[in-house]
Amino acid sequence: MNIGFIGLGLMGRPLALHLARAGHALHLWARRPASLEPFKDVDARAHVSAAAVARHAEIIFVMVADAPDVRAVALEEDGIASGARPGLIVVDMSTINPNAAREIGAELAAKGIEFLDAPVSGGEIGAINAALTIMVGGKPEVFEKVKPLFETMGKSITLIGASGAGQVAKACNQILTGVGVAAVAEAFNFAAKSGVDPARVREALLGGFAYSKILENHGQRMLDRNFKPGFKAWMHQKDLRIVMEEAHRLGLMLPSAAATAQLFNAIVGSGMGEEDSVAALKLLERISAPEQ
Amino acid sequence: MNIGFIGLGGMGQPMAEHLLAAGHTLTVWARRPASADFLLERGARWAESPAAMARACEIVCTNVTGSADVESLAAQLITALKPGSVHLDFSTIAPQAARELSRRYAEKGVDFVDAPVSGGTAGARAATLAIMWGGKSALAERLDPLFACLGKTIVHAGASGAGQVAKACNQLVMVAAIEATAEAARLAAAAGVDFAKVRQALQGGSAGSRVLEFFGAKMAARDFAPGVVARLHHKDFVMVMAEATRQGVPLPVGATVMQQLDGLMAAGWGTEDTSRLLCVLERARPAHLI
Repeated sequence: MNIGFIGLGLMGRPLALHLARAGHALHLWARRPASLEPFKDVDARAHVSAAAVARHAEIIFVMVADAPDVRAVALEEDGIASGARPGLIVVDMSTINPNAAREIGAELAAKGIEFLDAPVSGGEIGAINAALTIMVGGKPEVFEKVKPLFETMGKSITLIGASGAGQVAKACNQILTGVGVAAVAEAFNFAAKSGVDPARVREALLGGFAYSKILENHGQRMLDRNFKPGFKAWMHQKDLRIVMEEAHRLGLMLPSAAATAQLFNAIVGSGMGEEDSVAALKLLERISAPEQ
Repeated sequence: MNIGFIGLGGMGQPMAEHLLAAGHTLTVWARRPASADFLLERGARWAESPAAMARACEIVCTNVTGSADVESLAAQLITALKPGSVHLDFSTIAPQAARELSRRYAEKGVDFVDAPVSGGTAGARAATLAIMWGGKSALAERLDPLFACLGKTIVHAGASGAGQVAKACNQLVMVAAIEATAEAARLAAAAGVDFAKVRQALQGGSAGSRVLEFFGAKMAARDFAPGVVARLHHKDFVMVMAEATRQGVPLPVGATVMQQLDGLMAAGWGTEDTSRLLCVLERARPAHLI
C-alpha cells in the first residue's frame, strides 16, 4: 500500500520504519532533510510538501507536536487537503486537544477526507518495539481499514468511540501518568526525608495495592537518578495543559491534575523541560530542602 | 479629540459617556445598533462599520469580552486606521494576544495599547476605575487626559501586554481572596458560628479587605445576584493559568481556585455572582451533613 508519513521524530521514525518493513511503500515529507536519513535503505520517497505526499498516498499518518502543527500539515497552504484524492484517510497519532481533533476531523470530512485521531502511549521504547497502546477515535469502517497498519506499530489497539474519543482516552492516560509520577516522587521524597531508604519502600510496595507500572519503572529511574528521557517533562506539561483546557471548557473539577500541572510548570520553568518527567523528584527535593 | 468607542456594555457605555461629557467628539458602532441609542441621544455620532470609525478617529477604544472579540475587531480596524493613530483596548484579554496585536499594528505605524480596568460597573459609572496599561511610555502624554476622565488610579505597567499581566495579577489576588472568604464562611457555618459576626470582627483587623467587605456581605446574606458575573472571572482565570503555563511558573493556589471556578461553572452558576464559590464548597460537604 502507498502510505504517507509526516513527523519523523523520536516516535514517528520507528513507526514509519515498521510500516516499511511490513512491505508498504512510504511517501515522506520532513521540514529537516536530516530526518529522512534513516529511510535510505527502505522503499521510501521524499516529497516537497504534505500536498505532494497526499497525491501519492492512500493513508497518511501524522505524528507532530501539537494542534497547530496538525492543522498546518492537514489544512493550511501546501497541506494534505490541497493534494488529497477522494477517500484519503488521515490518521493523526499526535497528542492534541480533543476538541481541536474533532474540528480538524470535521474540516477534512467537508473535503471528502476521512480522519482518525489515534494518539499513543508507550514512549520511544514502545514505538521501537512495536508495543504501543493506540487509542482511536473515528468511524468504525475507517478504523477497520487502518487496523492492520496499527498492528505493525502497537500491541493494544482500541477503537474508543467517535472523532476525538482517542484524544479523550489519551488525556485520561496523561492524568493517570502525570499524577502517578508526582505521587511516586512525593512518596520517595517523603521516605528519604523520614530517613528511610526509598528503594526498600518501593520493593515492599510493589507487592501490594500501590503496585503500578509507574512505581516499578519510573520509580526505578528515580532511584537510579536517571533523568534522561524517556518522556520529556515539557511534553507532559503540554499534555496536562490540554487536560486542563478541556476541564475549563467543560466546567469540570480535576483537583489532582490541576496541582500536578503546576508541578510540571515548575519543572519546565526551572530548566528541566528536556529531562524525563521523573525530574519531578529533583524539584520536590529542592523545594523541600532549606534554602542555601 | 476624535474618539471612537466599540463595546457599549455595562462598562463601556458609562466610560464612553464620560469621554463625551469631557468634550470629545465621540463616534460609536455596535453589533446591535440599539445599544448605541443612549449615547446617540447625547450627541455621539454613528459609524456604519468599525472601518468607517477607524477612518474618522485618531483613537479607537474597544471594551469587549475576550481575545477573539478584540482580534476580530482589530482585523477590521487595522486596514483603516491611519499611521499615528491608536487602538486603545480596555478589554481583559490574554497578555500574549495583546503582544501579538501590538506587533501586527506596529507594521502599519499604529499603536495598540492594552489598558484593562478594575473597579466594575460602579467604578465605571463613578469614573473611579483603576487603569493599568501597557505600551510605549511616550503615549502617556496623549492618553493620560483620556484616562483621567475614566479612572482615579492610572498606572503605566510597562511595554505591550504589561497591562494585561497586571490585570491577570489583579484577578489572581481578587478571586483567590473571594475563595478564601468563602472558605472562612464555610468553616464558620460548619462550626455553628454566624459568619456575619465573624466578618464584622475580621473587617476591623489585619484580614480586613475590600473583598471581605463586598463579597463577604453577599455570602452572609446569601445574595448571589451579580456584581460581575462569575463566568467572566472564570474566563479571566483561564488566561491567568495559561500565562502561568507559558512562563513555566507554578501557581498552586491559583490552580486550586481555578478548580473551584470550574466547579461553579459545572453547577450552572456562571451568570450569577462569584460569591457562589461558597456554594461550591457546600456541594462538597452539603449543609444537611452538618
